[in-house]
Amino acid sequence: MQLTLEFGGGLELLCNSVKIHNVNVEPQDIELQGGTKKLIMKDLLTWIRGNLIKERPEMFMKGDTVRPGVLVLVNDCDWELSGQLNTTLEEKDVVVFISTLHGG
Amino acid sequence: MDLDKKPNLTMTNKKGSKALRPNSSLLAIEAELCGAFNMACNGSDSGCRSNCYRNRDEEDEEVAAVPSPETKPVANGNNQGLCIKCKANQPMSFAGRRTDDDARFCGDCFRSNLFGKFRLAVTSNAMICPTDNVLVAFSGGASSRVALQFVHEMQHKAQKNFDASRDRSLPVFGVGVAFIDESSIFTVPEDEVTKGIEDIRLIVSSLTPPTKELHVVPIESLYSSDSNDGSDRLKKLLDAVCDATGKEDLLVYLRMLSLQKIASENGYNRLVLGSCTSRIACHVLTATVKVRTFFQQGHGYSLPADIQYVDSRWGVPVVLPLRDCLIQELNMLCHLDGLKTVELNKNPSSSINGLVSSFVTLLQEENPSRECTIVRTAGKLTPFHFNRIPEINDSNVPLATQRRQKRYNLKPTESISSESFCPICNSPLSKSDLLSFKNVESCDTNSVLFSAACCSSCRFQILPKDPSSVGDFYSLLPQPVVARAKCGSADNYSLLREQIKDCILSDSEDET
Amino acid sequence: MEEEGDAKPKKAGPRQCCVCNQRRAALKRPKTLEQICRECFYRVFEEEIHQVIVENQLFKPGERIAIGASGGKDSTVLAYVLSELNRRNNYGLDLFLLSVDEGITGYRDDSLETVKRNEIQYGLPLKVVSYKDLYGWTMDEMVKMIGLKNNCTFCGVFRRQALDRGAALLKVDKLATGHNADDIAETVLLNILRGDIARLSRCTAITTGEDGPIPRCKPFKYTYEKEIVMYAYFKRLDYFSTECIYSPNAYRGFAREFIKDLERIRPRAILDIIKSGEDFRISTSTKMPEQGTCERCGYISSQKWCKACVLLEGLNRGLPKLGIGRSRGLNQENSKDVKKGNGARSIESKQCGSLDF
Repeated sequence: MQLTLEFGGGLELLCNSVKIHNVNVEPQDIELQGGTKKLIMKDLLTWIRGNLIKERPEMFMKGDTVRPGVLVLVNDCDWELSGQLNTTLEEKDVVVFISTLHGG
Repeated sequence: MDLDKKPNLTMTNKKGSKALRPNSSLLAIEAELCGAFNMACNGSDSGCRSNCYRNRDEEDEEVAAVPSPETKPVANGNNQGLCIKCKANQPMSFAGRRTDDDARFCGDCFRSNLFGKFRLAVTSNAMICPTDNVLVAFSGGASSRVALQFVHEMQHKAQKNFDASRDRSLPVFGVGVAFIDESSIFTVPEDEVTKGIEDIRLIVSSLTPPTKELHVVPIESLYSSDSNDGSDRLKKLLDAVCDATGKEDLLVYLRMLSLQKIASENGYNRLVLGSCTSRIACHVLTATVKVRTFFQQGHGYSLPADIQYVDSRWGVPVVLPLRDCLIQELNMLCHLDGLKTVELNKNPSSSINGLVSSFVTLLQEENPSRECTIVRTAGKLTPFHFNRIPEINDSNVPLATQRRQKRYNLKPTESISSESFCPICNSPLSKSDLLSFKNVESCDTNSVLFSAACCSSCRFQILPKDPSSVGDFYSLLPQPVVARAKCGSADNYSLLREQIKDCILSDSEDET
Repeated sequence: MEEEGDAKPKKAGPRQCCVCNQRRAALKRPKTLEQICRECFYRVFEEEIHQVIVENQLFKPGERIAIGASGGKDSTVLAYVLSELNRRNNYGLDLFLLSVDEGITGYRDDSLETVKRNEIQYGLPLKVVSYKDLYGWTMDEMVKMIGLKNNCTFCGVFRRQALDRGAALLKVDKLATGHNADDIAETVLLNILRGDIARLSRCTAITTGEDGPIPRCKPFKYTYEKEIVMYAYFKRLDYFSTECIYSPNAYRGFAREFIKDLERIRPRAILDIIKSGEDFRISTSTKMPEQGTCERCGYISSQKWCKACVLLEGLNRGLPKLGIGRSRGLNQENSKDVKKGNGARSIESKQCGSLDF
C-alpha cells in the first residue's frame, strides 16, 4: 500500500531530518490487529516505529499510541474524528504527524 | 525551609538528643492524653517536665520496639556509618524505596521519628481527648494500617498509665475500627473478599489491650437497611456517571458517608483517616485540575478545606494525624515492623486521579521534598472555620482540655466561614456559586433544586449532562445524600426557590 | 470519547462540521469537543482571540505593539492572527516583530531566517536585538565559559531583558507574547510544585508589568496549543521547530507531559487549571518584592543590581557562578532543577522556550 507520511513540528529529527516519506506498507509485512485485512493506524504506528524512527522512539510513541502532544491527521483530517488507532488506511492516503511539544 | 514541617527532625539534628522537645504546653497535652502526669511525676516534685517527657520517650520506644529482623546494618562510608539521630546504631538499609532522611536513621530512630510526627499532629490539633471515642477508618492499605497502629499504641500507653495511676481521674479514649466492604461494586472473587476481611479481623483482634470493636460494613448499606436492592441501586447510580474521574470521586464521597454513618450510629465522636502527605499532595493537584468549587468573589476555592489536620464539616469531625508522613515512610514502617496490609478494591485507574497519582510519584522520585512543597503551597490558602475541633462546653471535660482547645484552635478571623455545602462532595459553597444556575425546565423541583445546590465540579463530572436524566439520578441517591441536600441547606433552598421563581417570571416577561 | 463507539472508516461517512453543517469536519476542538471544518475553524479561532482582546482591553487604538517573535509556532501564528485582526477589525495598531538573537549557531540563526520571511509575508517591520550587541557576549561564547550547567538561567534572564530593551528601542507601548493555554497551565502547575506563591499569583494574569516600562500581554491565554498547531498547519504558516542545541531535551519535562496526558482524558482540564491558578491569586496576599531600578543599567530590579547585571559581571570577571543559586528558597530549587536538567529529565519543559515569562 502506497502511503505518504509527513513528520513535522520537530518529529522529522527522529527520522534523519526527512519530513516527507513515500512508503510502501504491505499489510502482510506486519501482524494485523483485529484479524481483518485492513490496515489501521495502530498497524501503521508499529510499522513506523520499526522502520522509520531512527532515534528516541519515546519522543514519538507512548504505549501503543502516539505520545500525547503529537497531532495526527489522516488526509488532512484530525484522527480524533476518524477513530484514532482504529482509523482504516487506504491506498495513497496521506498521514501527517506534528509534534506540538517543541518551543515556540 | 522545613523547620515548621519537621520540628522533631531538625531539633534532633541540632542537639543530637533523643527526646522530642516541643514546647511545654504540648508536653502537658501529651501527658494529659496519656494520663502520664499521674504516674511519671510520682515522687518528684519540681522540674519534672522534661524528665517526664524523657521517660515517656523511652517508653515509646519500648512499645514501638518490635523486633525488626529486616534492619540490616550497613557500612556506609560517606555517612560516617551511624544513625544521624542517636549516633549509636547503624542506619538501616532497606531494599525498597526510601527517602534521604530514612536512609540516615536507624530503625528505632526512624520509628520514633515517624510516631513523633503522628503524636505532634494529634496533640497540637487537639485531635483526641481522653473522653473521646475514636473510629479509625481502615482500608487495609499501608497508611491506614499505620494510623491504626499508632492510635493503638497511644491508647495502649494511656491504658497502662491509667492502670498505674492512683486516682484514675482521666479516662482512656476508646478506639473502634471501620472497614468499608466495596466488593459489591468491584468484581473481586468472593473468596478473596472473605479472606481479606478475615485478615482484617485478625489484625484488629491482635491490637489489644484494650480490645477494639471492628465494624465491617458493606458500602451499599448507605441505602436504608430494609431494602435489599441497595447494591443494585448503587451500581445503577455509579453507572449513571459517565466520567471515570467523577465515578471514582462519587465513590470516595459515598465511602465518607458510610464512615460517618458507622461513627454516628455507634457513638464515636472522631473519625481518624490515614491520609498522608503524599495523598494530600495528590489531592491538591486533582483539586487544581478539577476546579473544585471556587468562590467567585475572592475567597479562593474550597481546596483549603480538605487539606487541614481537622475537618469538622462532617457530623463526626475527621482528623488526619498522618498529614506530615510520606507514603514511603509508612510503607517502610509496615515493612520494618511486619505490619500486615490487605490489598482489596484494587482497580487500575484511568482517571485524572490515577494520572495525578503517578505524576506525583514521579515528582517525588525526582525530588524527595516535592510532596511536602505541594502541600505547603496549598497550605498557604486560608482554611475554613470548620477546620478545627468544635469547642466543648461540657463540664465533664477537663478544664485543661478546654483550655488547650482554645489555644490551638484557629482564631475566627483567620478562617473563612461558609454556611452551605455541596450535597455530593460537601465542598463549601459561596452564595454566588448557588445563584449561577438558570433555565429551569424540569417540573421535578427536588432534583432541580438538588443539582442547583451542587458545586460546579460535581455538576460537570458527576451529574448527568442531560437535564432530563437528573431526576433518575436523584432517585438513585442514598438517603444521607438527599437528606444533606435538604436539611443541610434549608436557607439556600428557600433562596433557590426564590431564584427559580424569578427565572420563571423573567422568562415569561421576556416572551411577552 | 462518545464518538469512539461508531468509529467508521473516514471516507465512508464524512463527518459534517457542526457549525456550517455542510463541509467535512477537519478537527475536533479540545475546548468544546465540537467537530468543525477548516473554514469554520479559522473563523471561530480568530473570533475567540478577538473576543479575548476586546474583553480584556489588551490594546488601545493607535498603540504601537511589539510581537515577541521567535520563529516558532506560537509567535508565528500570533503575528499572523494579530495582523489579520488588526486589519479586519480596525484596531488601529502599529505592529512590529521583535526578535532576540541569542547567538546560538545552528539554532537561532535558522529560526531568525523564519522570522525574516515572516517580516515579508505579513508585512510587519522586524527588529532584532542581539545578546552580542546588548551584553558583549553571544550565547555560544557564554556556554564556552560557563559550560552546559545553568546556561538556561543565563539565557532566560538575558532574553527577558533583551525583549524589554528591544521594545524600548521600538518605542512600543506593549509587548505581546505567544504563550498559549497549555503554557500557562503548565506554569501554574510548576509554581504549585515549587511552592512559588508570588509567581503563582502573577502567572495567570493576561497582562503583566503594567506598572513597569513595557507591559506584556498574552492574547493566546485561552488558546489551546493543539488549535495553534492545527491553524499553522492548515494555513501552511512558515514556522521553525527545532530544539535548542544547548538544552536538547528541555521539552521532555514531566509537567508538560502531565498536561498533555490530562488533555487526553479531559481536554477542558487545561482551562480549569488556569481558573484554579486565578483563584489562588485572589486568595493569597503574599508580599511582593518591592520593585526598584538597577543602579547599573536602570532596568527594573528588586535588588541593587538587576539579575542580568549580576550575571554579566560574573561573566566579565571570569566568575560565572556569581548570581547563580542565590539564598532564596525558590532560586535554590530552580538551580537544583537546572543542575539535574542536563541528561536527566526535569519537571519543566521550557527552560529554554524561546520567549519565557
